[in-house]
Amino acid sequence: MRLRIEPSSGVPISRQLADQIRSQCVARALKPGDRVPSVRELARELAVNQNTILHVYERLTAEGWLETRQGSGTFVKANPGARGHKNAQTQALLAQLRQAVQQARLLGISLEELHEMLSASMALETESDVQAERSSV
Amino acid sequence: MTPAISITNLTKTFGSKSALRSVNLEIPAGATVGLLGANGAGKTTLIKCALGLLRPTSGQCALLGEDVWSLSAEAKARLGYVPQVISLYPWMRVRELIQYTASFYATWNAELTNRLVREWDIPLDDRVRALSVGQKQKLAILTAVAYQPDLLILDEPAASLDPQARRQFLQLLVELTEPQQRTVLFSTHIMSDLERVADYVAMMQKGEIIYFGSLEDLKDRTHLSLEDAFLQMQQGVANG
Repeated sequence: MRLRIEPSSGVPISRQLADQIRSQCVARALKPGDRVPSVRELARELAVNQNTILHVYERLTAEGWLETRQGSGTFVKANPGARGHKNAQTQALLAQLRQAVQQARLLGISLEELHEMLSASMALETESDVQAERSSV
Repeated sequence: MTPAISITNLTKTFGSKSALRSVNLEIPAGATVGLLGANGAGKTTLIKCALGLLRPTSGQCALLGEDVWSLSAEAKARLGYVPQVISLYPWMRVRELIQYTASFYATWNAELTNRLVREWDIPLDDRVRALSVGQKQKLAILTAVAYQPDLLILDEPAASLDPQARRQFLQLLVELTEPQQRTVLFSTHIMSDLERVADYVAMMQKGEIIYFGSLEDLKDRTHLSLEDAFLQMQQGVANG
């Protein structure tokens, strides 16, 4: 599991980690059944307070991404409920958007500009759909 | 549960200069607290008063439930301290200093000692006087943690450590706070270290505690980096 921490950002470390693990589940970099490091292992590896890691795992377990099997560790959950999964995917998308917003702020891009960029990229998406349809005709 | 550190209306003046102004601070057992403050804010004075190394002008300090001026030998054995200015017996060899310190504590962990000596590259056969500042700091940390104190107080422990040693030290701190009842208080100027390992932050300015609370809450509330939150907090106090 590859995780990066930016201690000097405004986002709490627990949220940074939860967002990254969630994204990796969505992107299938973490597959159902994969074992994730124990709280203690991950805390030591990242040099991050154990309670912080514990919060991350508790939160992701509550969201249906991870499950703890008594005595054998914490795993990526095999079958998140359909609704839970959608919620979780939305959560992951939100997390990515949050990161994008933060990056935009760092680059000095205003909210309006960001909106425009978002609309533009959605327009591009639609355009390519149209083109795909045309070429198939 | 008894708080690990309990400070009530603590005031300390040096001549006409007041170093601490009516400080109240209660640190729950099991917390890892980072203490922030500009130079001269009173961090070291607060730590020394809390430890009973300085007599307060007024107010009380209790450690592990006991008044710090009448601390029992049992409580002292559960207390670890790394001062800002390290003073170790310069004529001893490192090996001797470790053995000497170990002889005072029934709870000395030889396995942990050996591991840290190895990982931190501590030269056992050198005289303490020949060590660099960073090596002395490592040695002071080692001798303060090896008897596994319930309460560990460190005054700028990472200040003289190189990046690799600092990382190793942070990993050690994380490992040490594993048993939920162990409490750590450390002062630092390195915000990123604090954010990694602390779950609470205490901020000081001009002898007062201007903030004490959970780091997560602070970030959720302000959406600011710790550095910005700290600067804003200082500004807010300065502007009244």
